[in-house]
Amino acid sequence: MEDDIKTKIKNCKTAPFDSCFPNQNQTKNCWQNYLDFHRCEKAMTAKGGDVSVCQWYQRVYKSLCPISWLSNWDNQRAEGTFPGKI
Amino acid sequence: MTHQMHAYHMVNPSPWPLTGALSALLITSGLMMWFHSNSIFLLVLGLITNILTMFQWWRDIIREGTFQGHHTPIVQKGLRYGMILFIISEVLFFTGFFWAFYHSSLVPTTELGGYWPPAGIKPLNPLEVPLLNTAVLLASGVSVTWAHHSILEKDRINAIQALIVTISLGLYFTLLQIMEYYESPFTIADSVYGSTFFMATGFHGFHVIIGSSFLFICLMRQLKFHFTSNHHFGFEAAAWYWHFVDVVWLFLYVSIYWWGS
Repeated sequence: MEDDIKTKIKNCKTAPFDSCFPNQNQTKNCWQNYLDFHRCEKAMTAKGGDVSVCQWYQRVYKSLCPISWLSNWDNQRAEGTFPGKI
Repeated sequence: MTHQMHAYHMVNPSPWPLTGALSALLITSGLMMWFHSNSIFLLVLGLITNILTMFQWWRDIIREGTFQGHHTPIVQKGLRYGMILFIISEVLFFTGFFWAFYHSSLVPTTELGGYWPPAGIKPLNPLEVPLLNTAVLLASGVSVTWAHHSILEKDRINAIQALIVTISLGLYFTLLQIMEYYESPFTIADSVYGSTFFMATGFHGFHVIIGSSFLFICLMRQLKFHFTSNHHFGFEAAAWYWHFVDVVWLFLYVSIYWWGS
């Protein structure tokens, strides 16, 4: 059990440094990856491609974004009131 | 009998600064009563006392300067400094609203979609009525200069005509803006776009009305022969204020109407 936790902690990764967003305020990083994933997903499903290529963006935004923001944005997309351009 | 041995104006005691201050108190407390206690009485009283103060104070200044000769060159210099400093303070006032606009529009938040104009906002076409408004104010700047030169050249009829043209253009601008406000697809409540748009253009429109009123008073005074070719500071102050209003509009047009669309 202890080993499992230690290896788990060693293997734990998060979003790497992105030089496009070098400052402390990472809001834009979260936002941009959220947009990029959903744009990628929309484009791939429209062309009948493989959505798994979009996985990177999803992993980044799921790591960086506050969960309340994500549920808010997902609700907005469902209602058609999401302000971003996807 | 003693005479003053200097060219300055020692103003007689006057009640108007006090009534002005009291009117300011009535207006501010009146606004609170109107907002929170559903009563417009104090506000109306405050506005009436404010208008009466302005009327009587400025009437006294005209009496002292034009009829009693107290506005010697050095007194006039002080009045010039005063008007210039006042206009500078107004520039700083508008700077605040432009700061707010640029702060919000240069880094649009995610709630707006990360772009400007924000999601859901259809801005006014800058090449339609706003461009006409620009032409109207620029033309009024030309006509007020025509009026000034007419006064300098002792041309009474042209001075009157030019003032009438300037005031009419100012009124035309105001009417066009009222129509634009009425027809606008967005309101002041529509995100920070609406807030910055209506605060900046709204205060500008208020200043156009003030400037037009000032020019109208100058027209009345010109009709009553108050201005001479080398002493007409009231007119010059009005003209400076009018040019200031025009310049603010140019900044508004370029920043909010054009770049901001």
